Amino acid sequence: MNVMGIIFTNDATMGELTDKRTMASLPFGGRYRQVDFALSNLSNAGVRHVGIISRHNYQSLMNHIGDGEEWGLELEEGGLEFLTPYAQSSTHTYRGKLESLANAMDFLEYGADDELVVMTDSAILSNIDLTAVLSAHVASGKDVTVVTKAGICNGKKTIDLAVKVDDKGEVTDMLVDYAAPADYAASMDIFVLGKQFLIRSVKEMIARDKFHMDRDLVLGGWQRGVVSVNTFPFEGIAMFNESVEEYYNNSLSLINPEVRKDMFDGRHPVYTKVRFRVPTYYGEDSEIDNALIADGCMLEGQVKDSVLFRNVTVDKDAEVENCIIFNDTVIGEGAELKYAILDKDVTVTPGAKLIGTKKNPVIVKRGETV
Amino acid sequence: MYFQKKRVIAMLLAGGQGSRLKVLTEKTAKPAVPFGGKYRIIDFPLSNCVNSGIDTVGILTQYQPLELNEYIGNGQPWGLNKTHSCAQVLPPYERHDKKSGWYKGTANAIYQNIDFVDRFNPDYVVVLSGDHIYKMDYSAMVEYHEKHNASCTIAVRNVSLEEATRFGILNTNPDNTIYEFEEKPAHPKSTNASMGIYCFTWSVLRDALLFDEDDPKSSNDFGKNIIPMLLAAGHKMMAYPFDGYWKDVGTIDSLWEANMDLLGKNPTFQLRGSKKSTIYARNSALPSSYIDEKAVIVDSFVAEGCEVYGSVKHSVISVGCTIGDGAQIEDAVIMPGVVVEAGAIVRHAILGEDSHICRNAVVGGAFAEGEKKKISVTSKGAVVEANAVLKPGDML
Repeated sequence: MNVMGIIFTNDATMGELTDKRTMASLPFGGRYRQVDFALSNLSNAGVRHVGIISRHNYQSLMNHIGDGEEWGLELEEGGLEFLTPYAQSSTHTYRGKLESLANAMDFLEYGADDELVVMTDSAILSNIDLTAVLSAHVASGKDVTVVTKAGICNGKKTIDLAVKVDDKGEVTDMLVDYAAPADYAASMDIFVLGKQFLIRSVKEMIARDKFHMDRDLVLGGWQRGVVSVNTFPFEGIAMFNESVEEYYNNSLSLINPEVRKDMFDGRHPVYTKVRFRVPTYYGEDSEIDNALIADGCMLEGQVKDSVLFRNVTVDKDAEVENCIIFNDTVIGEGAELKYAILDKDVTVTPGAKLIGTKKNPVIVKRGETV
Repeated sequence: MYFQKKRVIAMLLAGGQGSRLKVLTEKTAKPAVPFGGKYRIIDFPLSNCVNSGIDTVGILTQYQPLELNEYIGNGQPWGLNKTHSCAQVLPPYERHDKKSGWYKGTANAIYQNIDFVDRFNPDYVVVLSGDHIYKMDYSAMVEYHEKHNASCTIAVRNVSLEEATRFGILNTNPDNTIYEFEEKPAHPKSTNASMGIYCFTWSVLRDALLFDEDDPKSSNDFGKNIIPMLLAAGHKMMAYPFDGYWKDVGTIDSLWEANMDLLGKNPTFQLRGSKKSTIYARNSALPSSYIDEKAVIVDSFVAEGCEVYGSVKHSVISVGCTIGDGAQIEDAVIMPGVVVEAGAIVRHAILGEDSHICRNAVVGGAFAEGEKKKISVTSKGAVVEANAVLKPGDML
């Protein structure tokens, strides 16, 4: 079965952290960018033809992904393509997933052998076996399969697409952009569809000025009785990184061995751009408690309940607690950091103090000195 | 097929067994032995080539090449997989004229691959060993060779008079021209030790290899035959002084020491450095390391993909290792994928890849200041049973 993958890079929803990057290129988990999870899921499922749809700020993303070599996607046939907006068909950026797909019609139609399309995004992270989803989709005989996660809807969080199913797994209701109640499952923004079905639907929708995947194609089609919808309830961990608070909590949850085991399942590795950093050096006086540490760090101070990316320096007597520190950041001697997210290339001067709260971690922008 | 002419190519001798590494090279060639947490020995000469602008490397393999071949692959981690670059593995092969078969010696290995070298029509060939740990800019050596219009240039380092008895010693004039070569002299006249790094003018080396091959008494070795032959023939030979870190890791002790040289805030051998001195390695696609609250890590390297619950002092922990609760690791080199279970004690040891030290086992021991340290070693995949003891200096 030939399968094509499409990754949406998502609108930036994290203020300073996504000023100059898409959600896809947001660093996560010590050595990754969020898009690595989607790319690795596709790669591990044998998908060898992947399009990445990005509206803007795609430079850092292209730099990260390159020709897709790390994910085995540097291929002559198929491989990886960046699908960015171009002026001929639209002078504005995309208004919705369907419009961006209409813009990428060449890509969709080119892979003549592809029968199925997996659509995924870059803000909801999981290590999911997509081969199981693909098989379930084929077995269901439905038009669209939505991968869902129970336990996310709580009546407060706004969910892009929430689905309610009966005992037999048949969809009984769907809600779009709504604070769905707890008996709904949240879409993980992973869809499987027939390629011809998708091409036809996109053309029809665009002709009628409809751009919204969840509202117009899935919900609208289902309501009109022209689109049949199957769900695939995912049992593993799904990290919805849609706000800074969620991102912060999900990042620190990786310190938990059970969570890590699920997200970095050895049979389905998460690949990322290789940086060739040396192993991390733990100095004479370093004190590291309950932390996730990437390669290339120089640690002389204290680090507790934190995630450190590559090449971070923590000088003597510095205290880092409940923090996320992006790559190449330097924390000076005696500095004290609690509940903070430090972007890359930040310099914390000796003795500086940065204290946030769990709900509102302090964010320091890329390249700043504090 | 068209091959771009290259000014310099490198030939990397990676075929030796490395028998002095004992159990560590039972199933793998010495250049593929893990080093420094996430590297293999061969990453050093290979990365040096790349950092010196040498993009064509022939890798001569013979002993247990499976793992080495797999590791080198298409040369992608070192950027040697592009249109005009290559990392070409060159195993022995059969030829129509029967002048083939196993590589008889280091010179014979190159002799059998003259055709490979000729394809690139190089001016110079750099000959390297796959068992040294160092960072070196070979391009500076080639410049030196060219500037002095030499036939052969040999990198040398200054050793103590006592050490000199264990090396090939090059006796030189004040202008660094070599007038004599002595292999392991009992009474060394100088302390210029050959580092086994050669730069040859290819036309000269090519003739020398053909001549040497016709000599049935020759052992077809660079140090024993080619160098003395070129000297005797009156070729201009230069010594190229090198004062950076360099270590032959051909023995258990030196391999252990070289790993220890990476430690400290200002280590004897600094792996960190500018982009131009990066050591590249094949990537293991493992997540960050987890350091538990009970863990104590002092003056140590820990590579990615590890889980540390115990205590680690003055040690190198490679990718994908687990150090269990209450385990104590001291002065040890832990190779990739090793599991040390709870309560086990490992001191002055090298644990081979994927070896497994079960609960409360004891490997190696402590040594008094000045006492000769005997390193305990486990081979790839070895299992030290629960409560078992592997004595200092013992191998499993």
